[in-house]
Amino acid sequence: MNNTRIRRFTAVQRLFHLLLMASFLAQGATGLARMYIETPWGQYIAWVFGGYEYCLTIHIYVGIFMLAGFLVHFFYLLAKIDWKGFPGSLMGRDSVLLQPRDAKEAYEHVLWLIGIRGWPRFDRWGYWEKFDYWAVFWGMVIMGVTGLLLAFSVSSSRIIPGWGLNVAFWVHRIEAILAMGHVFIIHFFIGHLRRHNFPMDKAMFEGSVDIDSVRHERPAWYERLEKNDDLKGAITTEAGRGRRAVFYAVGYLAMFTGLFLLIGGILNSAAITW
Amino acid sequence: MKGRWWFHKVVLSMMAAVLLVAPGTAYSQEEVSSAIRRYRDMEVSTGYYERYEVLPQRRRPLVGLPGLRRDQFPYSPSGAQVRLRSRLADSHYGVKFYNVQKCETCHPAQSDDLHTVRANLTCRQCHGGEPIASIEHYYSPMNPIRRHAYVCAKCHEGASASFASYVIHPPNPADVKALEEFPALFYVFWAMAAIAVGTFLVFLPHTFLWGIRELLARKKETSSESHE
Repeated sequence: MNNTRIRRFTAVQRLFHLLLMASFLAQGATGLARMYIETPWGQYIAWVFGGYEYCLTIHIYVGIFMLAGFLVHFFYLLAKIDWKGFPGSLMGRDSVLLQPRDAKEAYEHVLWLIGIRGWPRFDRWGYWEKFDYWAVFWGMVIMGVTGLLLAFSVSSSRIIPGWGLNVAFWVHRIEAILAMGHVFIIHFFIGHLRRHNFPMDKAMFEGSVDIDSVRHERPAWYERLEKNDDLKGAITTEAGRGRRAVFYAVGYLAMFTGLFLLIGGILNSAAITW
Repeated sequence: MKGRWWFHKVVLSMMAAVLLVAPGTAYSQEEVSSAIRRYRDMEVSTGYYERYEVLPQRRRPLVGLPGLRRDQFPYSPSGAQVRLRSRLADSHYGVKFYNVQKCETCHPAQSDDLHTVRANLTCRQCHGGEPIASIEHYYSPMNPIRRHAYVCAKCHEGASASFASYVIHPPNPADVKALEEFPALFYVFWAMAAIAVGTFLVFLPHTFLWGIRELLARKKETSSESHE
């Protein structure tokens, strides 16, 4: 049972993800509560947070918290760049920047999906994982800017014309639907529900992945670690039973919250004034 | 001392006269000369006034919105639909059976916006009591030169003229009608919708196929996760 896993995420990265996860769900719930306040479903969610007005207060404070986290993450990112090898390091194998290689891998992966070709030789980050990362990055900027404009509308209309708030409102709304749809359907399914990861991919909670899984699913990364003699340093043990139970509880709580918001949002979408 | 009493009387009666003809209470302290210039800017330095800051001229008693997408108020809060009655002191003058009708009977599209649906505002909370002056009537509280102070600032403390250009009754952004009434909203809406729909068009089938594909392919044995 020991020494069977490879480190994939550091403690700081997992903390970022945990905070993002909690605040994303809070933003989704409070935002949808207000959007769906005309329906019993929306009123139920609003009740959880203390009503229509409190939902907005929480939404704004959590939003500012997320932006602060985003700022910290941005500086974390700057600190993490390998400046000695810059700018070549940005195109390295451990970089999350989208690279030409990702287009090739995506193409090979599609061929695998339709059964023409074997599993591609993925490295540390799959193209869909990189897309997830940059989708959040871009979403943070869009949601943050429009959210601040709307939250402080009297002040922001000194910078932009007031009708810009009409535009910001729709940008905020569509980007929110895109973000929630992507996370609650695509991210959850690929991360946890597809057969090879079911019932849950604990990598982002535990920080490590099974060594044999890596050998099969990310062969290029495994061979790179082996070749550079990094494998020994990257190997770690599996979390204990108690910690794994916590991972499952947190992960599934998040997933059921997300699915509740997704399904309720779709079912009630015809009953609200858009 | 006694000799100056007549002077005080004159001053006091002049102040009383001013109070009698002074306009009603505004909820914020400024009227503007344009979206970026305040009264004070001009008063202190040049004494220059824009034309709608002074009483209407003989030939031009009513000052209205500049045309759509011109000047500093490019969009009206109603989405700038054509209005035949936009300069009357009583905009509903001559409407038959007016006092037994509801606002939304004739203005259905104006009763499904966020202020009405979410904030539960009634029409009169902004448009005022009878007679409801046309928006472009010179003395209407809804006239864009003072709307922010007389209407918006009731709830949005410190509302500026720019703030008041928020479109209260926006067109449906997806509708072709929005292309004429509020083009910025139309284009941004469809650009964002294209990004969202595009993402789902790529990744939903991708996810679905992936799910099917893995049902057909058993995962290779692993050492630590096999017991789960």
